[in-house]
Amino acid sequence: MNLWSHLDAAFFITWLAAAVRLAGPVLLASLGEIYAERSGVLNIGLEGTLLMGALSSYLVSIYSGSAVLGFFAGGVGGLVVSLLLSFFYLRALASQVVVGMVFNILAGGLATYIYSLVIGDKMSPTVDMFNALPVPLLQKIPYIGPIFFNQPWPLYLTLGLVVLAQWVLFHTRFGLSLRAVGENPKAAHAAGLNVQRIRTYGVMLSCLGGGLAGGYLVTAQIGLFRDNIVSGQGFIALAIVIFGRWSPLKALFAAFIFGAADALQLSLQLFNNILPAQVLLALPYLLTILAMSGVIGKTVQPGALTQPYRKD
Amino acid sequence: MKSLLEKRAVPADSSLASGGITVLALLLAFIIAGVLFIPFGANPFTAFIELFSEAFGSLRGFGQTLVQAIPLILIAQATIVIWRSGMGYIGFEGCFTIGAAAASWVALGGTPQGMWIMLPLWAFWPIVLVVAFMAGALWAGIVGIMRVRFGGNDVLISLMANYVAAFLVQYLVSGPMRAVGDLPQTPLLPMQSWLPFIMHGSRAHMGLLIALICSLLVWVLIRKTPIGYEMIVSGMNAKAARYGGINVIRRQMLAVFLGGGMAALAGLCMVLGVQHRLMDGLSGGVGFVGVIVALLARLNPLVVIPTAILYGGLQVGGSAMQRESGLPTSVIFILESLVVLLILAGDILRYYRLRWPGRGRPSVAEAASETQS
Repeated sequence: MNLWSHLDAAFFITWLAAAVRLAGPVLLASLGEIYAERSGVLNIGLEGTLLMGALSSYLVSIYSGSAVLGFFAGGVGGLVVSLLLSFFYLRALASQVVVGMVFNILAGGLATYIYSLVIGDKMSPTVDMFNALPVPLLQKIPYIGPIFFNQPWPLYLTLGLVVLAQWVLFHTRFGLSLRAVGENPKAAHAAGLNVQRIRTYGVMLSCLGGGLAGGYLVTAQIGLFRDNIVSGQGFIALAIVIFGRWSPLKALFAAFIFGAADALQLSLQLFNNILPAQVLLALPYLLTILAMSGVIGKTVQPGALTQPYRKD
Repeated sequence: MKSLLEKRAVPADSSLASGGITVLALLLAFIIAGVLFIPFGANPFTAFIELFSEAFGSLRGFGQTLVQAIPLILIAQATIVIWRSGMGYIGFEGCFTIGAAAASWVALGGTPQGMWIMLPLWAFWPIVLVVAFMAGALWAGIVGIMRVRFGGNDVLISLMANYVAAFLVQYLVSGPMRAVGDLPQTPLLPMQSWLPFIMHGSRAHMGLLIALICSLLVWVLIRKTPIGYEMIVSGMNAKAARYGGINVIRRQMLAVFLGGGMAALAGLCMVLGVQHRLMDGLSGGVGFVGVIVALLARLNPLVVIPTAILYGGLQVGGSAMQRESGLPTSVIFILESLVVLLILAGDILRYYRLRWPGRGRPSVAEAASETQS
């Protein structure tokens, strides 16, 4: 096929709609992670959290037959995970890097174990998935409509949560406390904030976002559970947080760029490898590395990120 | 206030305390993993006996265990060097992959068409070792430079770099280095480039020697040399080290360089010793399990060796159990990660002692707080 004759409006609309579709779950996960990182906890366990969320979402979906229940079960799964993670991050005061990394391996093992325990060798049933839900009126807007407003509803929820998170982080007392604790826990403690408690909320929100993102994958994108269902999307979400400079609105754009690169790689495969697919696949990670190293403007991470806080 | 945990006046820092916690964690992890076998209708005791006799009971099995342990040892040593000097680098999957690719490239005579296919054997080994080592060292070194020059977060950058490396190799095996055929992989490497087997009747290969030499070098480096001492001091307190006249940046760069190189040698051992060709997804998470091994050995280069052999054995026994009785291998991953998590949880006991409410006399700390109030 000739690429250039296909670069019309329809190509762009299809491509960008796919970009939004792929951006959805990682955006949701990164929103949660922003809360944690703003409070000073780097939750590398996000990848495992997504996996556990996806598993609980899948199991609840097939047993209840309801995609809605399944989607939210992902969030519940995430909250269960947050009990474990916040214990290690905040009570045991262990290295956040170690805990997160080890948890990802644990989650990988647990997910396979539970899956083979419950489903076994049976053909794995598919779940009812959400269909695209066109928004009345908005979907009529040229270009924007078909790209953004003809998607499954968890995407609209995620977009709403972006606005909510932006407001919470920068215009509420809770957001201020969260940022204070992540910037300088000692000073925040001196000012009377309960550092561990606020960080616990950060970790919980991160796991809630990750769990829901897992639910999103199952109920709105794949409809199945596989061991490799998450396949690095938790790490992409971490990258989005960095690329989006720890701000929800910027994370929205970052997620969209990542999704666009991913979707472009899928559609370019139709055109006889003009560019190796791996270049586009690696692009988001390369951009993140460049963003972190200050090549694309200066990136300042929360001051106390990855530093456990010990009173006294 | 009556609480279950009571702060110790002084943290229990003896090697007895940390050793005890490790043993307890191992025991508890095995008990939990054993319970996980029960729903599959297996007796945990026989399952574990089967596991260990498979991994350690025969020469063939033990050889396989050593094969699994080789990359774990190398990556664990890399972790020790880098982490002890104060960096949080976790990009060993990437270094492994890059090292595997570099080694395959040399073994295939610098594809395409094998430019130096005539390379004499005596020249091949030093060249392949150096090229793989340097490739991994530079790969990790980039992350190091970004951290020391621009202040980026080494944990996150190295995590992202893992994916770049994975896609790079995916590109190589589906493009420039691809063999004719359906699968995205290189041709079989020439037999002369395979690491020789070292034990008759087992698949253990010369990579073991590479791993042991690296272990010895790391031990000498951090225990016996001034440079290693400076690395450790940089890791413990960079500010104090700088004040003491140590060039912290240079020491950390050196550590990342050495670590990246050793992790790349793990990749070399995998392609030249086991797979004999480069393919996508070669590492299978060994870059992370290697870090776990280092943690379990409490970043001690000599303890790493038995620990890696234990973990290698778990992997071998686990897959054998799955083949024979259908028990899921994933229990092994659960076991492996639980050990570390339990040790971390157990560390609480070094700072706090357990006390049941209403028993025992009040501790020093409690008595002090009562006299104050």
